[in-house]
Amino acid sequence: MAIDVRHNQSDAFKDMMANTSQQDAPPRFSITRILLSNEFGLLVLIVLFATIFATISPAFLSKFSLYALGRTAAVNIMIGFSMMVVIITGGLNLSVGAIGVSAAMFSGLLMESFGMPWPLAVAGGLAVGAALGAINGIIIVRTGLHSFIITLATMSIFFGIMIFLTHAESYRGISPVFTGFGRMKLFSIISPLLLVTIVVALGLSVLFRFTALGREFLATGANERAAELSGIRVQRMITYCHMLSGVLAGVAGLMLVSRTGAAIPSMAGQLGQDWLLPAFLGPVLGGTLLTGGRVSVLGTLLGSFLVTMLTTGLLLMQVGAFWVQTYLGLLLLFAVLVDLVRRSYLQRRKLI
Amino acid sequence: MSDTISKTVFHADNITKTFPGVVALDEARITLLEGSIHALLGENGAGKSTLIKVITGVHQPDSGIMTLNGQVFEPHSTRDAIAKGVGVVHQERNLIPRFSIAENIFLEKLSAHPMRPINYRQLFRDARKWLDLLGIDADPSLPVSRLSVAKTQLVEIAKALSLNSKILLLDEPTASLTSHETDTLFAILRRLKSDGVSLMFVSHKLEEVQEICDQVTVLRDGRNACESRPLAGLDRQAVVRLMIGRNEQIPDWSARDRSGEETVLELKNVATSLGHKGIDLSLHKGEIAGLYGLVGAGRSELAKAILGKYAITDGSVLLHGKKVEIKSVADAVGKYRIGYVSEDRKSEGLILLHSVLENVGVPVWRRLANLFAPLTNRAIREHTEPYIRKLEVRTPSLDQNMGNLSGGNQQKVSVAKWLAAEVQILIIDEPSVGIDIKTKAYLHELIRELSDQGTAILLITSDMPEMIALADRIIVMNDYQVRGEISNTRVYDTMSQGIMNLIQGEDMSAEEAAPAAS
Ligand SMILES: Nc1ncnc2c1ncn2[C@@H]1O[C@H](COP(=O)(O)OP(=O)(O)OP(=O)(O)O)[C@@H](O)[C@H]1O
Ligand SMILES: [Mg+2]
Repeated sequence: MAIDVRHNQSDAFKDMMANTSQQDAPPRFSITRILLSNEFGLLVLIVLFATIFATISPAFLSKFSLYALGRTAAVNIMIGFSMMVVIITGGLNLSVGAIGVSAAMFSGLLMESFGMPWPLAVAGGLAVGAALGAINGIIIVRTGLHSFIITLATMSIFFGIMIFLTHAESYRGISPVFTGFGRMKLFSIISPLLLVTIVVALGLSVLFRFTALGREFLATGANERAAELSGIRVQRMITYCHMLSGVLAGVAGLMLVSRTGAAIPSMAGQLGQDWLLPAFLGPVLGGTLLTGGRVSVLGTLLGSFLVTMLTTGLLLMQVGAFWVQTYLGLLLLFAVLVDLVRRSYLQRRKLI
Repeated sequence: MSDTISKTVFHADNITKTFPGVVALDEARITLLEGSIHALLGENGAGKSTLIKVITGVHQPDSGIMTLNGQVFEPHSTRDAIAKGVGVVHQERNLIPRFSIAENIFLEKLSAHPMRPINYRQLFRDARKWLDLLGIDADPSLPVSRLSVAKTQLVEIAKALSLNSKILLLDEPTASLTSHETDTLFAILRRLKSDGVSLMFVSHKLEEVQEICDQVTVLRDGRNACESRPLAGLDRQAVVRLMIGRNEQIPDWSARDRSGEETVLELKNVATSLGHKGIDLSLHKGEIAGLYGLVGAGRSELAKAILGKYAITDGSVLLHGKKVEIKSVADAVGKYRIGYVSEDRKSEGLILLHSVLENVGVPVWRRLANLFAPLTNRAIREHTEPYIRKLEVRTPSLDQNMGNLSGGNQQKVSVAKWLAAEVQILIIDEPSVGIDIKTKAYLHELIRELSDQGTAILLITSDMPEMIALADRIIVMNDYQVRGEISNTRVYDTMSQGIMNLIQGEDMSAEEAAPAAS
């Protein structure tokens, strides 16, 4: 019997549910469920491409290459998370890059001009991220306009103000402890930044699985009207999600500062736009529904990792940087198609 | 067989359809005759909607054969079925909320010629015809999202009628209609029948079935409990036995008077931003007060105003004798312990994307979670399972997506969620829409038990027998005002007459206030 995975079920209930179906119910942790999951699909793709890259260019598996891959992935995954927590509300946040850079620049300012110790400066930067996210959230719930429009506007506004205040100058007086962190190697291949990302991922998983707040975020994203009538403060939840997005963007920005040793206004490109591709690709590949209400933290992690790996691998194979974007696009299309075929195959075989 | 003259138009043989963990149809059979209204009956989850979806090409059967006018019929989409003369009103609403009533009614026709410019004047005029026929009092240019649940259902029916199908399948078309609108619909169905149309009718209201149907098929767990036999000669209890395997339980609760208990909720001369005026209403501890009215009387709207979703513009709301201002639904639920079971489970009651367990737990999450213990599925399950069990929610597991449950089972979860929430005041809006007669009795027991434990219940229902079975006192509303109240003697005829008299009052036009058929 498949149903007995659950505990504490009275026999009557078991019988009743068993009677409903003449077949066995799909158990929670069945092999087919795992095979069908997005996460598994991504894992397969990661292994597949890693094998291809390693075969073509053995340098791909060198210690340094793996270290660099982990370090870059750490930042990209964080950027993906920053978008993910807003996508679950059915919205999006185009200003992730602008917020991330603003937070990083503020920390840089605190360290260089005010000589603050790095933990305080980091806290200050994250506070700026939260505040800018809150501004997004509040405008969105107050106006009732779609987050696309609002964050498109605030992207330019935040970035513009940041450039105005910093005169587009970089802060290079970063605490050596802080930059050392981004250059440290654990067991000669693991970057501490990757550990930060993993801790954040665990935190987010706990949030969405084991707290009322996280579940209320998802309920709001899935059906705002039903959530409201169930007693959830939907407007507040949307604002919180944007704040969380701002904080996570700030963490990503600070990780870049720690890695490069400077807070540079152009580190996410013009208006922070360079972050948008990784921000969307991770969650979307990972199976977070664009319409909101469903999240996969592990999926986003794997999705962002896959994208980072493809980029690194292509650069390593000396594909011109110009072509990388094109290949990346094609590979992604391929990846999504493979996923589609896998699902429809399993569905036809009645495995879903 | 008395009806040997009638021609067989449609036949389905040994249809089997499975979903993961569920055999929805197990060699089901049905035969539809020309000029006949065929009742398709069965408990919640018996497979009625699935059979209709197979016939209309929404689902492909795993095995089995269908024939239409003697020829093999294998529709691969709804559009294909429509083209071959099979129309349908599904149990769940499928209209496009932002489109106008007229656009929705003629969607099929419009999308057949996507490039042709739309003549809106003509479209609205054509739509008007169908609206008048069904007695829908609404402008055809109004977006569907602005309509009440009942009117949306009528528009859906108008849409199906406009296709002039030879076979028309109606999946619980009367679920959210009052008896007045149902009568109008039945007049139309009878006319279609005499024109030779073959109709299939699904309903959990057996009075309706006996009033209008001539053939019957009963499904049990996806199998035929009886197949395409004449309804004549089967009385209500015989039908019930075919459906649930035993006789119906009819509770015999004596009249109850709770007006001596503490007044939990009181409205004094309340007006709302939606147009309610001079509403006086009180609700006592442990009482079930019924709120009756025709569609459009403003009952659900009043409920939402009490909850703080709409503004109260005048008068006062008192909870336990203290004047309060409820600013948001979250305050109503979290601070004042007021719950609301919505009449519209699909858009307001449930999150179809999420699992059964996640839905049923929403109101208790905050209470079950605290800083020191994580909120686990196990805790939620322990808290809510007794209600899910008592209402016999049929699902392969509590992790099943809400959207995969049958309509009636979704409704059960939408009610169970609030029964489990341990609120002090519970407003229940049309709780038994789409629930089968067996579970309906359990539901009524649960509601009665809850009130015995002290919960004050405000019951909104258009189902007169339900109202008379449950309410201690019935408050009658019409046109966003309270018309009066009577205490429930539980004698059906005098009660329904008394209620109708109150609704008609002095200023009602006689036409609108047609008495409810029992
Ligand atoms: N898309 C689906 N995926 C999984 N299970 C499904 C799906 N559709 C229906 N089912 C299951 O098939 C069974 C039959 O459902 P169906 O909707 O046909 O019942 P019904 O007789 O119409 O019930 P109701 O009176 O509640 O409307 C139920 O157990 C339901 O959970
Ligand atoms: Mg159904």
